[in-house]
Amino acid sequence: MKRMMMIGAVLVALAAPAMAQDVDTLSPEALLTLAQKEGKVTVYSFTSRIARVEKAFEEAYPGIDLIGFDMSSTEMITRLRTEAAAGITNADVVYVSDAPVVLSDLLETGLLKNYVPPRIADKLDTAFKSPLLAQRLSTKVLMYNEAAYPNGAPIKNLWDLTTPEWKGKVLMVDPLQRGDYLDLMTEFVLRSDEMAKAYEALFRKPIELDDGVETAGHQFIVDLFENDLVLLASTDDVNAAVGKLGQDQPPVGFTSYSDRRDNEDEGWALQVVNDVVPSNGIVFPALLALTADTKNPAASRLAIDFLMGDDSETGGPGYAPFYVAGDWPTRSDIKGHPDAIPLADFKAWRVDPAATATIRKSVGDLVLQLQ
Amino acid sequence: MIRVPPSPSGRGASALSDILMSTQSRNRSFKDAFLSPGLGLKAAVLVLLTALVAAPLLKVFGATLAPGAWSAWSDVLASNLSRNLFWLPLANTMILGAGVATGCVLVGGFLAWLVVMTDVPFRRTIGLLATLPFMIPSFATALAWGSLFRNARVGGQIGFLEGLGFSVPDWLAWGMVPTLVVLMAHYYSLAFTVIAAALATVNSDLVEAAQMTGAGRRRIFLGIVLPVALPALVAGASLTFAGAVSNFAAPALLGLPVRMQTLATRLYGMIEIGQAERGYVLAILLILVSAFFLWAGNRVISGRRSYATITGKGGRSKRFALGTARLPLFVAAASICVLTTVVPVVILIASSLAPSSSALFSDWSLHYWIGASDPAIARGQAGIWNNPLILSATGVTVGLGVTVAFSASLVGLLVAFVLARFRSGFLSAAINQISFLPLLVPGIAFGAAYVALLGAPIGPLPALYGTFLLLVIAATAYLVPFAVQTGRAVIQQVSGDLDESARMTGAGFLRRLFAITVPLAIRGLSAGALIVFVKIVRDLSLVVLLFTPTMPLLSVLAYRYASDGFTQFANALTVVVLVISVAATLFANRLQAKSQPWLQS
Repeated sequence: MKRMMMIGAVLVALAAPAMAQDVDTLSPEALLTLAQKEGKVTVYSFTSRIARVEKAFEEAYPGIDLIGFDMSSTEMITRLRTEAAAGITNADVVYVSDAPVVLSDLLETGLLKNYVPPRIADKLDTAFKSPLLAQRLSTKVLMYNEAAYPNGAPIKNLWDLTTPEWKGKVLMVDPLQRGDYLDLMTEFVLRSDEMAKAYEALFRKPIELDDGVETAGHQFIVDLFENDLVLLASTDDVNAAVGKLGQDQPPVGFTSYSDRRDNEDEGWALQVVNDVVPSNGIVFPALLALTADTKNPAASRLAIDFLMGDDSETGGPGYAPFYVAGDWPTRSDIKGHPDAIPLADFKAWRVDPAATATIRKSVGDLVLQLQ
Repeated sequence: MIRVPPSPSGRGASALSDILMSTQSRNRSFKDAFLSPGLGLKAAVLVLLTALVAAPLLKVFGATLAPGAWSAWSDVLASNLSRNLFWLPLANTMILGAGVATGCVLVGGFLAWLVVMTDVPFRRTIGLLATLPFMIPSFATALAWGSLFRNARVGGQIGFLEGLGFSVPDWLAWGMVPTLVVLMAHYYSLAFTVIAAALATVNSDLVEAAQMTGAGRRRIFLGIVLPVALPALVAGASLTFAGAVSNFAAPALLGLPVRMQTLATRLYGMIEIGQAERGYVLAILLILVSAFFLWAGNRVISGRRSYATITGKGGRSKRFALGTARLPLFVAAASICVLTTVVPVVILIASSLAPSSSALFSDWSLHYWIGASDPAIARGQAGIWNNPLILSATGVTVGLGVTVAFSASLVGLLVAFVLARFRSGFLSAAINQISFLPLLVPGIAFGAAYVALLGAPIGPLPALYGTFLLLVIAATAYLVPFAVQTGRAVIQQVSGDLDESARMTGAGFLRRLFAITVPLAIRGLSAGALIVFVKIVRDLSLVVLLFTPTMPLLSVLAYRYASDGFTQFANALTVVVLVISVAATLFANRLQAKSQPWLQS
């Protein structure tokens, strides 16, 4: 009897990886049967929109409790590392930005694993399927108040932000508290050649670097801080400061293009600065992944499948919270939001996670030195 | 040591044994020193404190010495980063600490004097109000300040005052001044509690005797009141200093827009972005810097002789008559209390109802409290009453507060008792120092240290990260200094004579503890437990790293809402925290009513 049990245990252990393989290939319907037995799925999300996903998911799949938890990507990365060290797995699904750190610190260390729902695999570019699944593209770009500047953005060149006219009137979230903003700073450095050209275009002379400053990108960051850059705690603070209606000469700030969606509810007039050289900021992927030791393998995959949207043109209820002007779907069959500038016409730089990862820390040190 | 057998002849024998004891102690031999009365007890307490407090801190220190982490020391202390990473934050931290300590002792001492020793009207009310600000989380006060004074520096979102048409200068809206004021408004009640407890023990017989023999007020103050209150003044100053230098929320909310950094905000920022080693180095430096001030404060207290002034004291019959100053002093006290309690609370409540912070009293809505999820408002966040996470967070928070109030008070009582009875010796000094350490460690660093210590399995023990037990252990360790400090001022004044006599008659340690020390010190102990409960219920910095989604806490949820820009939800949750804290205080006051002779007229 005892031996039988042992053999049984060995068989189950051997079968486990094979079963995991199988789960990856299951259809949503097959996943649902298994997921309803699991009963719940916990999602760590870098956006508060997870609250709406939770509601939609539980309506679509009764009997499975989606527990959404909202935290910044930076904090999530720290938390996932800590939980892994303690040997506990609270989250099943991770919805996160800050790809440079996620890929190097979470995926390569084996804390996360990739899952591409087979239903939509052929509707995604390879770049959006590997190394991790990208659900949409998000932004950190320069925004202005279109009610206060009805004739278009007051900024035509990023170097305008370093002139006396904009002293104390450029806002962003502290790059040391939100990784996406550090990625933005890093991008300025990676695009130093473009920054140098833009400088020459505005001031009609080649850029001269301060002592100890390595590139035009570094110089831009230095000049931005010397021009009394205002650092706030959250993007919504930036949104309110920049976008609030009824302001005379309001500031500009780096925030998410998609936050325009709140203009009506919040009484803002946020608009993106797109007619600007060399760029208005960065476009980066919002990643979806499974935690390596998820206890709800079917429900977690079903949640990712749901977040990737259904087969309608707008992605249906799972994608609805993200079907807004300013977020671009990665799925080729979901149409971009009609009110948004198409991605092809959008000025922002596409982040290269690997390149960013190499110099991110040194840029962080520069920001630290300037604060 | 010698043991004197119980003697029927009472006082005489006791006095004799006192003499014998003191002679004996002067001639104490080497062997006696090792077999000194408290050795077993002291060793046990030291082991307990070491496990609770020293182990996580040593772990943090060790983490900065690991290969590859070394460079964090030079980054912080000697690189082109150190000015911003260490020196400027250090300067701001010291200004905050000194300013807040001074202000708190002045304000807290003033109110304590009024309530305990004078005939100011509405003493009870003032006494109650003066203990309330400590229950308002400092981030709530900071948010309330922002709602009032926020100016156009960050554009759109102007505060209520600018909404009314006043122009608020930058120095009043952001940076050092508002941070100082908010922290003083938060911590002065701590100084008040400690000083009032000490003033209440001033023996009125002594005061009356002095008055009858013609001593003036000044003489009585300097000769009787001040000596009794001095340990409390120093304790109040050191507690508020430590609180101010390790506070995170107020400088983060009010300083960041003008890039004013303190060591605490710096170290939080470093840990949050994954540069833990630099954060740990900053934590260690912060500990070293503040340790100096606490060491100095401690010298003032422990360098003095004992304060055995109450054993069974005479009731208070006379209060200082304020005469014509009665009304102006009352108005001053009442203004302080109202501005630090009622006003922030009103702003909190109003802004949990008002859709816009610049018009706090318009368009009120209960959506943020009881509304169902509405995609058009706050990204579909349901009102806090409809959020199961918040309901479970309430249970966890209260459970944690109660558990830690007991556990910390117990540890605090042990430590205070040992320190009061066995002052000399290496072990006592070590106990004293270790029990104060958590005061110097910003909660966030302490939390990180506990994650480092218990975040991975130790031998056969499983990792405690994510468990209620971890929260209890870390919070107990973190709050022991408060239990010790508040209990200590009182326990020191429980006369050693009674304890000695009991010991002479053969009473064991526990018997003496519960038959003599506890009954005499119960007021201080319940005050300590109360402070611990309230502190943990509204604590943010300690638990923010220990917190996991499966073990939610109200303060962390409130902070999350605030940092996500959902001010109304944050303030609604803060109001819940307030209601719990205030209810606890009122309940405790009711329990204590019979033992508050200083409030009886």
